[in-house]
Amino acid sequence: MRPRWDVLVVDDEEVVRSGVSRVLSEAGYEVATAADGTAALAHPAASSCRLVLLDLMLPDRSGIGLLEALRELRPDRPVVVITGYATSESLARALEAGAASVLAKPFDAAELLDAVRTALAETAPAGARRDPP
Amino acid sequence: MRSRLGTQVVLGVALTSVLTLGAMIAFVLRAHRAALTGELHRVADQLGATIKTATHDDMLENRRDRLRRQIEALGRQEGIQSVRVYNKEGRIVFASDPAETGRAVDKRAEACYACHAEDRPLERLPTPARFRIFRGPDGERLLGIIHPVQNEPSCWTASCHAHDPEDTVLGVLDVTVSLAQVDRNIASSQRRMAALAAVAIAASAFILWWLIRRLVLKPVRALAAGTRRVAEGDLTATVPVAARNELGELARSFNEMTVRLAEAQRQLTQADKLASVGRLAAGMAHEINNPLTGVLTYASFLLKRCESDPALREDLEVVVRETKRCRDIVKGLLDFARPAPPRRVPADLNDVARRAARILMNQLALNRVGLALDLAEDLPAVPADANQIQQVLVNLLVNAADAIGEEGGTIRVSTRLVRLPPRGNRPIRSARCPKGCDLLDVAWRIGGLPSIRVLRRCGDQEAAYHLDPTYGRFNHRAGAPCEEGVLAGFECPRCRTALVVPDVRCDSCGAPAFAVSTVEGGRVLWCTRNGCHWSRWDWAEAAGEEPGVEIAVEDTGRGIAASDLPHVFEPFFTTKGPRGTGLGLSISWGIVNAHGGTIEVWSEEGRGSRFTVRLPVGAVAPASPAAAADAAAARA
Repeated sequence: MRPRWDVLVVDDEEVVRSGVSRVLSEAGYEVATAADGTAALAHPAASSCRLVLLDLMLPDRSGIGLLEALRELRPDRPVVVITGYATSESLARALEAGAASVLAKPFDAAELLDAVRTALAETAPAGARRDPP
Repeated sequence: MRSRLGTQVVLGVALTSVLTLGAMIAFVLRAHRAALTGELHRVADQLGATIKTATHDDMLENRRDRLRRQIEALGRQEGIQSVRVYNKEGRIVFASDPAETGRAVDKRAEACYACHAEDRPLERLPTPARFRIFRGPDGERLLGIIHPVQNEPSCWTASCHAHDPEDTVLGVLDVTVSLAQVDRNIASSQRRMAALAAVAIAASAFILWWLIRRLVLKPVRALAAGTRRVAEGDLTATVPVAARNELGELARSFNEMTVRLAEAQRQLTQADKLASVGRLAAGMAHEINNPLTGVLTYASFLLKRCESDPALREDLEVVVRETKRCRDIVKGLLDFARPAPPRRVPADLNDVARRAARILMNQLALNRVGLALDLAEDLPAVPADANQIQQVLVNLLVNAADAIGEEGGTIRVSTRLVRLPPRGNRPIRSARCPKGCDLLDVAWRIGGLPSIRVLRRCGDQEAAYHLDPTYGRFNHRAGAPCEEGVLAGFECPRCRTALVVPDVRCDSCGAPAFAVSTVEGGRVLWCTRNGCHWSRWDWAEAAGEEPGVEIAVEDTGRGIAASDLPHVFEPFFTTKGPRGTGLGLSISWGIVNAHGGTIEVWSEEGRGSRFTVRLPVGAVAPASPAAAADAAAARA
């Protein structure tokens, strides 16, 4: 059976990917991960998942560029930017390019789940899918 | 280069002296020669006349032997070259040199030429024409003078040899005197004067050389040495101001320039350091926040999963709390690099002090450092960003522990309520010109507060001028430079109404004062003289001291060297070697400053240090709509 993904995590740091996956999986979400922009766009979850968590600093391409590509692929799907350091200009550009919200690193489990739930509640059509508890 | 300048000037002056003195000497010698020659003419003329008179009777009586002896005797006299008597035909009748007697001369010859230039001889000659100067056989110069012997009645009535009464001139007496003595005189004068001139030129050249050396070369050399030192980067170089002349002025300007350069360099270095902190903070934030995300997500995740195990839960809570503190420290560093206004809410500073102490308690106990808290219990809440103030205190505590080192000692943290004087603590949050234009500029902040924008006219330059809105502080920002001490004009930038008031003058320098109106309590005044730090805010003074909270961190450590003391708040200044980043105190200073507070240090080497933080209680109480808007802007 073809797996269905809820969240795609794009971050070049392994510990961030695994930590985020751990928290979200435990909360009942199906999580896919990608370490860079190329892997993210090649991943089947890129078109099928319900939410993308995207780091703005990636080794192979600009985070903003990837954000735009992901938005083009699925304009209705929210993208939450996770960033360790962002100037107000780059944040403004991210929001302009269609980011649903910005989550500053480091965040704890509760902050992460809050951001994910808010983004999904705001955009997912009601009843399309049952949110995990 | 300097010896060449001196040599050039001295040579130039010497050449000028040679030319002028030479011309003068030539003129004087000429006059001298003319005077001597004139005198000689007179004497020679007189001599001729005397000979003529003395020989008159002998001629009349035709006593030729006597006449010849007389003339020969005259010719032997010192200075007289020759005496001759010619007859009308040009034959020498008598001569001092007997060999010449009887010799005929050509009437066109030199002695005769004056009269016989024309075919018909002149019978009377003007005196100058009777003189002639020529060179003798030895090359010496000779002066000849002729005296015509005029016919007279006794000559043609005498029995002896009567002359014809028709003749006008019977012959000529020609006396030649030597000019050798005169020439010797003149030559010796020439030598004396030339020697004198040479001495004068040498003396003036020496005096000039000495003056140039003393008045020009020495100060110029000092200036050159000063510029070299500045070029090598030593901005402490000063040049002695030797004289009250242009070079002294230059030296003064030079010294002023180095002082200003040093100041500019300090500011530039500070800005540079801040930029470096910014880059460092940005890189660090990115690098550290990723691992922190890992720690925080895993720890918080574990925390949720171990609700059944209270002991583990407590440990994990420490991990989560301290990781979040790391997050705040990184954020604080970023805030310092890109200063963000603190989020001030009423905070209990005793609580903040206790939290800071708790963080370090274990570490201090391990290092045998005693920590005493002496907290006043009646403290009012202070509008402050508790995280930032805690960061300041942790910083001060870490420094105190480091200063104590391994010998052990005590740190005392105390809080108390203090009265803060109006100066340096009272800001205005409104400013209007006499016609009511709003002068507050929220886009340009000084000390975190909106500045007061006016138009300053300095000389013929007009530019925006941002006034420090805090009473007793003068961190004004000028849009264009203005010379220190200049009386500037101040106007409203919108309606151009003059802000200078006629009734008040500066108490400090007597210059006119200018004012803006505030809603806090009437007008506030500053001095118009650039650089004069005088202001009078009656309402601020009338309100008196305001309450504030003082937190002091005192240690019994090694203290700070007096030479290091002025630098402790500079970014990257550290006495801890590679263990210190030099950021702690500068970040602390930035935080306290952003709170409108002050941080002071007292220290004595060998005895310890005390850092005192004072925060105003009422500084940001949102009493006015402007303050509320400001606070909202700060949160945005």
